[in-house]
This record gives sequence, structure tokens and C-alpha cells, in this order.
Amino acid sequence: MGSPCEVLCETADPRLAKRLGNFARGEARRVDLKYSRYQPGSVVNAMQASHGKRYHVDDETARMLDFGAALWRLSNKAFDLTSGVLRYAWSFDQGKVRSDISRIPELLKRIGWDRVGWQPADIILPEGMEIDFGGIGKEYAVDRVADWAASQTKCPVLINFGGDLRCVGAPPASGAWQVGIESIENFGKATKRIELKSGALATSGDARRHIEIDGKRYGHIFDARTGWPVANAPRSITVAAPTCSQAGSYSTLAMLKGEGAEAFLDAEDARYWCLR
Amino acid sequence: MQLKKKPIGGKLAAATCSLLGALPSTPVVAQEAGDWDIDTSLLYYGESDGRVTDVSLDASVRRAFDEDRALNFSLTVDSLTGATPNGAVPANTLQTFTGASGNNSYTAQPGELPLDPTFLDTRVALSGGWQQPIGENSRWNVGFSTSHEYDYLHLGVNTRYEHDFNLKNTTAYVGLAFAQDDIEPVGGAPIGLTPMLAERDDDDDDGDDFRGGGDQSKDVIDALIGVTQLLGRRDLIEVSYTYGQSDGYLTDPYKILSVVDPVTGVPVAGPVGGTPYLYLWEHRPDSRTKQTGFVEWRHAFDRDSLALSARYMTDDWGVDSQTVETRYRWNINERSYLEPHLRWYTQSAADFYRTVLFDGDQLPEYASADQRLADFDAYTVGAKYGRRTDYGEFSLRVEYYRQEGDPSPGSAVGDLAGFELLPPLTAYIVQFGYKFRL
Repeated sequence: MGSPCEVLCETADPRLAKRLGNFARGEARRVDLKYSRYQPGSVVNAMQASHGKRYHVDDETARMLDFGAALWRLSNKAFDLTSGVLRYAWSFDQGKVRSDISRIPELLKRIGWDRVGWQPADIILPEGMEIDFGGIGKEYAVDRVADWAASQTKCPVLINFGGDLRCVGAPPASGAWQVGIESIENFGKATKRIELKSGALATSGDARRHIEIDGKRYGHIFDARTGWPVANAPRSITVAAPTCSQAGSYSTLAMLKGEGAEAFLDAEDARYWCLR
Repeated sequence: MQLKKKPIGGKLAAATCSLLGALPSTPVVAQEAGDWDIDTSLLYYGESDGRVTDVSLDASVRRAFDEDRALNFSLTVDSLTGATPNGAVPANTLQTFTGASGNNSYTAQPGELPLDPTFLDTRVALSGGWQQPIGENSRWNVGFSTSHEYDYLHLGVNTRYEHDFNLKNTTAYVGLAFAQDDIEPVGGAPIGLTPMLAERDDDDDDGDDFRGGGDQSKDVIDALIGVTQLLGRRDLIEVSYTYGQSDGYLTDPYKILSVVDPVTGVPVAGPVGGTPYLYLWEHRPDSRTKQTGFVEWRHAFDRDSLALSARYMTDDWGVDSQTVETRYRWNINERSYLEPHLRWYTQSAADFYRTVLFDGDQLPEYASADQRLADFDAYTVGAKYGRRTDYGEFSLRVEYYRQEGDPSPGSAVGDLAGFELLPPLTAYIVQFGYKFRL
């Protein structure tokens, strides 16, 4: 998952805690191996290796592709599963940004869900295009573990994969899980505390990764239509929703609205916390 | 409530449902935690036999900034009423005493322990502090305290530094506190071991210099060093040592000693211009050095927890005390707990503690008949019940306190042998608390 993953459970039963931990670790690994482009045997690499030929995907991958397609429609094409190739123009390396904006026009030709032939469960991915589940895989894994935990125990459990999290029940002593939102000035310190009793929280934006061009501040989320990061977006958006997939989608889509992030979330009547 | 149409919410929920197979039946419940922790309590303390009653109202607020910086304030208002022993012993005759201002008097019936009924006071105390992290593993606290009564003003400052070692399994701390107290006794501070004067009829005098000793003050310095150590997952031990030094006026300006015949135990007659019987104002040394050692062990069971502590104090007045205290927190269910509490205390008398002074003996340099400096044992039995609700935590604490000294010490000669010179003291404490976050 590329980030620390943890499962918190309030129980006196060490076997339950171990079972939850094992399942979460297994699921995080499985989703990572299956959908990471850095894993040689992953489904995304297999799709790419089909060189524009029809490729039949399994049921889970089909559901992920459907979900990505829905976000593409709901974001007016700003979110796109195929936008991962933009990493050839923009890269974030140890806090420094390297950009090669001359490559953007060429890369844009390799982006666009409407260029992908998708008839569940067959995909035709044109040569040169890539699928990247980076924006949805982690949240999906959190939801999978949460659903499983809910089926196993009545004890309160919190699944936190790199800051995207969902709870099942809440610790009785305080009545809620205490979740800190990382400060944008003080890395590693919480600036706000959220009391989560039920549901999920996902955060988009990483204070440590941003770009400044001609005095204009850009985040690290790219608009698939322009190939550029979104200008004037909040530095961090945390959204609460029943599932981590919904919370993550809301925070990503809001980030893509830039200046209008808050207005978008207000219209959705979402509970959110933006740091600018 | 107006139903709002969410532009994409429904479609996103449908897409998520397809992805996960189902949506959870519970809605999301998340809210930003309040920054202010507010803890309020109302306490009633009542001693038996109509002695001291204290009603105390306390409010503490704590505001956290980021994770580990915090500001806190605490305000307490006490209202004390009732009567306290004035230090004199009972007699077979009526005893008459002069009030501190000199303008009034009170009596003790034959056989009755003399109590000063003019004891009535309102105390207001305010304290505050700031906690600031220094680096990853240290914290620094600075604070102040002040309290005011009609005859007493306390001003104090304190600081404390904590450092975590050993992956935060060990925390060491040092602290320093300084206080300066001004005492403005009604009628002025009495001059130690001089006779209590008779009541006078003097309306135009405010009584400020009736007893001749004017205003007084004292300084107190406390230095603290300690360590808390985690022992495994379930145990925590804390050890600390405090050194305290008080200098200045440490005498109680309202306490006296009876002077009695060394054979019959009968009070001797007062001097010209004094009370009918002779009473001398108490007098204590003007410096006191206290050393305190403290150790506490806390253990977490699966559901409950236990705290057990012991304290040993010794000072250069000859007072040694030991305290053993335990609390068991029984978490009855998810929302409520019951916490039984037991405390046992014992102390030895101060070297200059006297039940009475004997007529004809040479006057000691220091003497006090204050029962708080006597040899006594005390215990407290109580319990606290707490219940968490969606609006905060309510608690109720009820405690019973009993203090017993030697009612008939060796100095109980003649008539005195027939009286309870140090009667047991019992008190009830009832405290209602409400804690919430804003």
C-alpha cells in the first residue's frame, strides 16, 4: 500500500486481534499484489501487456473498473483510471518536484477512459495506455477488511491504511475513535481531532507534496483533461462517508474542483474538513 | 429538515454498492472534537457535631492546541462555616474566650470541648498552566496559583519539566514551586505564648492591632523529582521525592493553649486584663522542612484497573506520617464504572505539641495544641460512580472520613482525665461531578 497500515481492536481476546491483523495484512498484500503497477504479476501489468487486444478480467477487477468508470463520469472526466502515465511528466521525489511539461501533449493522447473498450468483463486497452487503481485501491482494501471485521466480531475495530480509515463500532470508554488530521504546517502533528463513531474518513492531499509554478500553488492530484495538477485546491481534504470508497472518492473529486472544492462538498451535504 | 438532492451522492453510493456488494446499514457519524475540556464539581464536606461545613464549587477548563500544547485554568470557590477547636481543653466550669477582633466573646459549657464559632470564610482560588512540548520527548509546564480569603492571600508559581526515555516507557520529571503567602489575621497576629486578652468594648477600633503582632507572611519552596516506568503492558510504577521548605509565619493565629494546674487539671485564673482563665496563644517555629517519598503502582486488568500508593512524610517538627491508599476501578459496563476507594493515614505528633501547659512549668520555646499536629490515625472509605452519556460524564462520589487520636493522653491530669481531650472526628464528603467537551 506504500504507507503504514494498522488495525486497532478493543478486545480482551488475543486470538481475535490476531485473526483481524492477519486478515488485514493478507488483504492489503493481496490487493497490492493484484493492482499495483510495481508488482510484475499484477492485473494492471497484464492488461497493459495485452497490447490492445481484448483481455478478460476477473469479477473483482471488473467491479473496480466499473467503479473507476463511474468516478470518471461523476467527475466530468477529470478523474480517469488511465491518467497514471502523467508520472512521466511529473514526478515527486523526496519532496522535490521534477516536471517535463513538454511531454504533456503527447501523454494526453494516452489518457481517456472513452478510448478504452470496456464491455464487462472484457477490456481493450489501446497500446501505450495504462490502468492505475492508485486512487481507489487502498480505500477498497479498507472497506473489504471492515466488512469482514463486521462479520466476525461485535468488538470495536478501526482499519487505517495510510490515513484512509473506516471503523466498525466505537470504543465504549470514549464513545468514538479519535482521529487526528495532520497539520499542514507541522508534519506529524494533528491540527484537528475528529470523533468517529461510525463510518469512514479519507484524506486527499499531502502537505509534503505540492508544486509551485509562477507563484501559483498546485496540489499533487492531476486533472486528466489537462494533464496538469489542479490549481488553488485545498492542501488537504478529509471527508466522512459511510464507506472508505465513498469518502476517498469525495475527497479526490473535491480536490479536482480546485477553488470550488468546498462548494462541491457543501452541495453534496458532505461532512468534511478542508485545510488551505 | 429539508431533504437536499446531492448532485452525485446517489450515483456514488450506487457505484460503491456495486463495488463492495453492499453498503453498511449504519450511517456515518463523525464530528470535530471540541477543543475545550470542562470539568465541574460541587463538593459538600460536613464534619460531625456541627463542626466545619464546606461547600465547594470547582470548574476546570483545558484547551488543547495541536497535540501536546495545552492551556488550563481552574477556579474554586469554597464556603466554609462552622466551628473549630480553638486548642483549649474542656473544664468543669464555664469557659469564656475572646473573639479574634477583641470585640466579642464566646463560651464553652462545662465539660464541652471549646470550639471557636467565629469560623466563617469564603475562599476563592484560581490556578492556571501552560504545557509546551520541547522536541519529541520532552514537555515543559509553567503555572501559577492564587487564592484569597478575608485574612489570607496566596500567590504561587510553579514549573515542571518531563522527559521520556526508553521509547517512552520511562518518564522522568523535575518540578519546582514557589509560594508567597500573606496572612492578615483579624486583630493582628498574636505574639506567641502571651495571654489571650479579655473582650473590650471598643466600637471605634477596627481591631487590627488588638493582639499586637500585625500582618505576617511566609514563603514556601517545593522541589520535586520523580520517574514513571512502564513495566510490561499492564503495569506502571511511579516514584517521587519532594523536598519542601517553609519559612516565615507558620503559626495559626487563632489557636490557643489552656494553662492548668499540674495536679488538679483545673484551668488557672487569667491575668489582669485577660480572660477569666489563662490561655496562651500558640507559637510554632518559623521554619519547617518536609521530605516526602511517594510510590504508586497501577495495574490494568482485562476490564478493570487498580491503583495502590504509599506516601511517607517526615519533617523537622517531628511529624512523621504514612499514607496508604488504593482505588479499584470496576468498569461495570460500556458506560458506567464504580470506583471504591480506601485510604489509611497515620501521623506522629509535632515535638512542640502539648495538650495543655502546666502552671509553674517553664514556658517552652514553642507550643501548639492544634489537633492537626497531634498523634492520630485516620481512614477514608468511599466510592465514586461515574456514567458516560452523549452529553458528558456524570459522577457521584461519597466518602466517609474518620480521625482518631489518643482521647486521654498522659498529660490528662486530675479533672482532665474525665474529658475526651481529642475526640474522634468524622466527616462525610459528597461530590457531584460533570465533565464535558465543547
